[in-house]
Amino acid sequence: MTSSGRIVVDGRPIAFVAGDSVAVAVIRAGEHPGHGGTICLAGDCGNCVAEVDGVAYVHTCQTPARPGLVVHRHPAIGAPSLRASSQVDVASPPPARRIPVERFEADLVVIGAGDSGTAAVADAQQAGQSVTLLDAHDGMEVVAIYAGPTVIARTRTGMTHINAQDVVVAAGSAELHPVCPGNSLVGLYTARAAEQLHARGVDLGVSVAIGSPPRGVPCTALPGSLRRIEGEGRVARVVTLDEDGGGERTTPCDTVILGLGRAARNVLARMAEGLPVTVVGPAAEEFPLPAAPTAGIVCLCSGIDVDDLADVWERGFRELELVKRASLAGTGTCQGSVCLPHVRAFLAARSAEIPDPFTARPATRQITLAEAAAGVHFDVFRRTALHDEHVALGAQMDRFGGWWRPWHYGDHIAEYWAVREAVSVGDVSTLGKLVVAGPDAVEFLERLYPTGVADIRIGRSRYALLLNEGGHLIDDGMIVREAESRFVLTFTSAGAGHAEMWVRDWAETWRLRVHILDRTMSLAAINVTGPLAGLLLERVGLPSVPRFLEHVHADVCGVPCHVMRLSFTGEMSFELHHPVDRSVELWQALMARGRDLGIAPHGLQALQGLRLEKGHVIVGMDTELDSTPRRLGMEWAVKMDKPDFVGRTALARTALLTDNRRLVGLTMPGSAPTEGSPIRSEEEIVGHVSSSFASPLLGHAVMLGWLKRMPLPEQVQVDGRSASVSQPPFYDPEGSRARA
Amino acid sequence: MPVLETMTGTRVVAAPEALDAARWSEGAVVLRLAPDDVFAIGVGEIEVADEDAIIVAEAGFMGVWLDADELSHQVVPHIEWPLTLTRPALVQGLIAGVPAKLWLEDDRALLLCAAAYARELADRLG
Repeated sequence: MTSSGRIVVDGRPIAFVAGDSVAVAVIRAGEHPGHGGTICLAGDCGNCVAEVDGVAYVHTCQTPARPGLVVHRHPAIGAPSLRASSQVDVASPPPARRIPVERFEADLVVIGAGDSGTAAVADAQQAGQSVTLLDAHDGMEVVAIYAGPTVIARTRTGMTHINAQDVVVAAGSAELHPVCPGNSLVGLYTARAAEQLHARGVDLGVSVAIGSPPRGVPCTALPGSLRRIEGEGRVARVVTLDEDGGGERTTPCDTVILGLGRAARNVLARMAEGLPVTVVGPAAEEFPLPAAPTAGIVCLCSGIDVDDLADVWERGFRELELVKRASLAGTGTCQGSVCLPHVRAFLAARSAEIPDPFTARPATRQITLAEAAAGVHFDVFRRTALHDEHVALGAQMDRFGGWWRPWHYGDHIAEYWAVREAVSVGDVSTLGKLVVAGPDAVEFLERLYPTGVADIRIGRSRYALLLNEGGHLIDDGMIVREAESRFVLTFTSAGAGHAEMWVRDWAETWRLRVHILDRTMSLAAINVTGPLAGLLLERVGLPSVPRFLEHVHADVCGVPCHVMRLSFTGEMSFELHHPVDRSVELWQALMARGRDLGIAPHGLQALQGLRLEKGHVIVGMDTELDSTPRRLGMEWAVKMDKPDFVGRTALARTALLTDNRRLVGLTMPGSAPTEGSPIRSEEEIVGHVSSSFASPLLGHAVMLGWLKRMPLPEQVQVDGRSASVSQPPFYDPEGSRARA
Repeated sequence: MPVLETMTGTRVVAAPEALDAARWSEGAVVLRLAPDDVFAIGVGEIEVADEDAIIVAEAGFMGVWLDADELSHQVVPHIEWPLTLTRPALVQGLIAGVPAKLWLEDDRALLLCAAAYARELADRLG
């Protein structure tokens, strides 16, 4: 035959003929594509896998040869080494090879284009169904079936994901490999492989056949059963046992062709248990198991021999799933395609029961991480309407609570001072915002929140904790009363999604007459804060500045806003909630009109320091999963004389118990210790710092931290330094600046 | 990929039966986001037989109208879930990993997502 080109195997060129797979080309050159073992040329075993063009564990029998293809055999023992660039930047997403994904739908997916598969296709087409036929020989290698059912196939150009109504597995059967001494030598072929090689003009030398002989392949059929194969690296002779048990016969040869029987190729069907998947043809058959193995390698992929199986049996592992885990037989490259019948036969001979095959899981073949991740996206992070404004102002953006947010604009201390001494704007669009309205709105919120709701006057608002049934804090925010039966609830940025579900869940549970609308992503919000904030808002058209905890609807800079006066920074603060499409306009107008007042935007870094000086907690940062109002020192936010609210029962019960955990304030000279630093008392760790900040105004570090010791010590050690336990807030304890 | 633009409209949260009975102006696109939740584009005054209904101007969505060819070539390849053949229909789920909605008409479709996701969606659809 005429050569069509050459591939490069372990650095040496090997000629191939048009239509050759890599494995056939290598065998044609008188070599083995791996290091030994029976070749099936059907993609069933792992004996021909090699690294092809940089991808490890590729079935060379399923890979068409083409000029210049580079093949490296895997090591005879052990796994191929991982290749990692020394230049890897672990902080950046990997420059992954993008694998294209094709997705489509079909009434029926048929896997396998043999007789039973094509018959299933014909039947379905006759019934008017849309059918997709997948066959590895056509370059459509099915690697998994997931719930749906969704069929995942590797193609020559990428991956295909098919949503099907029904799936037919017509994958046929695999040929049994021998288990006997010498079964890892070079020169062993299944009968079908020998037929393929002969048809492609590959000279197999002096060949003998054991079992069912191959069709049309010149060879000597040997009677009797296979005993062992002998040779140094390659087959030199085969030893058979006469059928009548009369004795061993040794036959010199170059090649042993094995027709030892078949096993159903049902791994995909076993993977799809409970799904609308039908198995037809040989894949559905129960083939007889081979004779129980007595010597030789059972699992060539993992190097497990009969002695290993006997050892785990003796150690008490007697179920197939346990034998698999204890011996690792079936966990290798072929995932049990070769060894499973032999392991089942091994157990059947000892337990008098034939065990069912072990569970199959995706993927049936080795696929690359890029192929597995094809079509998968990084988690999406939301952008506020002001994202570009922040970037243009030099903000360092980072991800917080599912959003891109400005951490700082270059100088968080300058941002801090703008808030404390002048006026500043912060993007708080990320806060959760729910509208609750309906005749039962008051009743609903009274049950939901531990604070009083009915006595919040229209036009006023109140800070509230959100507790779960255990009395543990899950979020916090404001209850803003707009009308007799209409409220706006706000939540933390990170907790908004869960809070919405929580509120909806209770509304449904109690069957109260309330409507709920999530406006978190419909309304943007800008916090205008600082001693000059009121002046700025008057300047931009707010007719009258609301008092502390009041709110009004008014146009600001021509933009309709819901103006809520509250304070997280400790200074006079107004949250301007407004339509998201008007946010840039409002931001730019505020920045322009506040220029002579020293306006500057502030990021989260400054905000975290500002609120810490006031002792305000950040849920999830300063709180733990079991933080109660008592532990947080926030019992003032709980109205236990209400008839009921979520968490009340637990709070009443736990109030009777001693509790040594408290969130406390801490101060100490010098720099702020790292958040998370342990707190020690008398050389013992008694807690940790949850937030810390070197206060520019106070000239020392302020902290919140958890202490697990009562009575509270007056002095503790943090970061090797002495710190004083004190009651927050550290700044403006009377709240006169926020209420100014 | 066509550019996503703000889709202003009206958001109505009301009793499901009130929304079922509501009449919408000719040519309005009425998206039933949930049994009790409608986003309506191109409607004037709205009358809903629920005195507690929440009716607010909505500007939190961005979207783009696509013809059938744009839909099948630029959007459908990024959808991992079965796309109904019913028309008209509102379907909601991840598109290219981004929460989004599709309003499917006979010969066109409205691709819609929260404004906060719009740029990410556009980037991923290329």
